[in-house]
Amino acid sequence: MELSTILLTAYVLVWPLVVAIVLGVIGKAFFSEWAEARRSGRDLI
Amino acid sequence: MEQFSIPLVVLLLIVFYGGTFWISLRISKKQENADGYMTAGNNIGFGISAASMTATWIWASSMYASATSGYTYGISGPIHYGLWGALMILFIYPFGKRIRTVAPKAHTLAEVMHARHGASSQLLLAGSNVVGSLISLMSNFLAGGLLIALLSPFNFVQGVFIVALGVLLYSLWSGFRASVLTDFVQVAAMLGAVAIIVPFIFFAAGFPAAFETGAGNLTAHQSNFFSSEAFLQQGAPYIAAVLAYAIGNQTIAQRLFAVREDLIKPTFITATVGYGAMVIGVGMLGVLALYLGIEPLDGDTNNIVPQMASSYLPIILLVLFFVMIIGALSSTADSDLAALSSIVMADIYGQNIAGKENANPRTMLLIGRITMVLATAAAIALASLQLDILDLLVFVGALWGALVFPVIASFYWDKVTNAAFTTSVVLALAAFIPIRFAWISMDGVTGIIVDLLNVVGIGVVLGLMAFGFFGRRVALGVGGVAALASAPFVIGFLHDYATLSGSLVAYAVSTIVCFAMSVNSRSEFDFALIRQRTGDFDEADPDDDPVLSAKGGN
Repeated sequence: MELSTILLTAYVLVWPLVVAIVLGVIGKAFFSEWAEARRSGRDLI
Repeated sequence: MEQFSIPLVVLLLIVFYGGTFWISLRISKKQENADGYMTAGNNIGFGISAASMTATWIWASSMYASATSGYTYGISGPIHYGLWGALMILFIYPFGKRIRTVAPKAHTLAEVMHARHGASSQLLLAGSNVVGSLISLMSNFLAGGLLIALLSPFNFVQGVFIVALGVLLYSLWSGFRASVLTDFVQVAAMLGAVAIIVPFIFFAAGFPAAFETGAGNLTAHQSNFFSSEAFLQQGAPYIAAVLAYAIGNQTIAQRLFAVREDLIKPTFITATVGYGAMVIGVGMLGVLALYLGIEPLDGDTNNIVPQMASSYLPIILLVLFFVMIIGALSSTADSDLAALSSIVMADIYGQNIAGKENANPRTMLLIGRITMVLATAAAIALASLQLDILDLLVFVGALWGALVFPVIASFYWDKVTNAAFTTSVVLALAAFIPIRFAWISMDGVTGIIVDLLNVVGIGVVLGLMAFGFFGRRVALGVGGVAALASAPFVIGFLHDYATLSGSLVAYAVSTIVCFAMSVNSRSEFDFALIRQRTGDFDEADPDDDPVLSAKGGN
């Protein structure tokens, strides 16, 4: 496989990877806030 | 193109809108609070606010347009769409921190302008916000109608009504609170879908081998990552609009006032990365279509994304794709409804009709809900015209350029007056419109004058970007160097690009006039007054008290 093909493959597939990481960060923060709100008897929003 | 059956599409829509309605019911209160309806108490955590900011900024058109950019300009196309769109969020955050410092309890940016200057400045900003939100709302309904018509036996008009009523159903009672909480579910669906769908289509369509077999389908510009054509046609007008969109869009300001003050930075950075990766990722489908030599259905490049999905995804992932697009357009549409209702509640009723001290929170809530219903009806009517959305948005984005310097300067410089703000914006608009629509000949001296203003505009845009992060001295250096360095390339050339030129002239004229009218002003505005003049409309609500709430306040 040519180098340019490998670079193009990485260029296309890196974005879904970053998206998955962001989803993990947001999801983790959301559920910890939810748990904290339940513990302290507050509304989440 | 593969279509869903009526029972399947009805089931999907019931699950989606029924689910979001159920979420809104879970947080609804019998007696909603007017401030909660607009900003959810100014105390939202990082998870919800980052999700909401990301979901709001991603809309169906941004995914379609990014893929169109990839298909039209080749491998750099999605970057020239998604990167600059993402930077709109990033570059506004330092200004956002300043805005929250001087107006911690405000609801809209226009409300702060009323506190800073008075009614004329406020109404100029609020008016531009209303136009932008209405166009955005219309375009999301339109995208929903088109998607439903494309993938199901329902027609376009039925699709528009389904989406509009679905969004109104879950937004109406709790307003912004429902908008931000449902955003989390919607963004999870969207991001999850992209993380799966893009790699799946990539391999199903025969990549990476197709990069070699399909290379002949690209022109020299399309296969060049540093294509000047892609930059000038797609990237540069977006760079000029980076600050304008963020200033002119109330959905951003609303989240800025809603998030807990110490969480502004991580929220904006996360949304920047999330938006950029998601939109660029979907845009890659346009690049893949280009390598595969796919012709867009009916010659409409907006069909590329649905076409790629329909051609390469199995039914279960096609369902996920459908949910992703419906989630993207619904999350932005509910934010637009919340933005429009806040503007009418706070800026029109709260500040100009009743007055801050006499505004009745119950009346405000009623006005907010009526606004949502009327805005939905207006957007449905406008959607039926099937206008060119991207043209409208580029127009509005450039129009907002006239507001950027006066708004930002008003938060930092005590000498800016209401007259300077209003005059500079009106004159900038007067200069922008004939240039944008090519009403005047650019031959001879006119073209040179416009190009000189373009040079100033470039300096202003880059200077303001630097100012947010590094302060006045660096901003003056960056702006000056940018203007001088660009002058040899701009003069005699850039006036032919009406969109970019109009936008830069709007920046330049508003900055020159605002500066000239302010520099010798004797005004010394006390920014502490803004905090006093903005703030909650409601009395303290027992539901907002953690102790009372835990005892059964809700």
